Amino acid sequence: MDPFSSSSPSTGSGSGPSSEALMGQLKAQLAQAYAEEFLETVRSKCFGKCVSKPGTSLSSSESSCVSRCVERYIEATETSKFHKKCAYLQP
Amino acid sequence: MENSEELQRFLEQEKQKAMISEMVGKLTSLCWDKCITSTPGSKFSSSETSCLTNCAQRYIDMSMIIMKRFESMQ
Repeated sequence: MDPFSSSSPSTGSGSGPSSEALMGQLKAQLAQAYAEEFLETVRSKCFGKCVSKPGTSLSSSESSCVSRCVERYIEATETSKFHKKCAYLQP
Repeated sequence: MENSEELQRFLEQEKQKAMISEMVGKLTSLCWDKCITSTPGSKFSSSETSCLTNCAQRYIDMSMIIMKRFESMQ
C-alpha cells in the first residue's frame, strides 16, 4: 500500500488526488498488467505449439499456426471464465 | 473518511478480481496443456472442447476439496 501512505487522498481544497482519480489510475494500471500477463502467456504457449524447431525465419505454416493458436487460446480462456462463473453461482 | 471507505471497498473488489483472474489464467494454462495436444486448428475439435470443459469443471471441484481441507486446519 505504499502509494497511499505518502499522501492520503482528500477532496475539497486539499492538494492530494481525489479518490476517483486514484481509482481510475489504478484501474488503468491493473488493466495494463492483466493484458501484459495474458500476452506473455499466449506468447509462450503458442511458441511451444507452433515453433517446434526454430529456423532462420518464421515459415508461413508457423505464422498461420500462431494466428490460429492466439484465437484458440482466447477461446479457451473464455471457456475457463464461463465455468468459473458457473461455479460461483452454485450454492 | 467516506473517501477512504470508498477506496477500501474499491481495493477489496479489485483484489477479488485479481484472484479470479489469476485462477482463470492458471486453469486455462493447465487445461490447454492437457487438452490441446496437436497444433491448434481453425476450430477446436469436439474432443478438445469437451476436454476443456471437463478440465475446467474438475479443476474447480478439486479446488473446493483442497480449500475445505485447509479451512478445517485453521
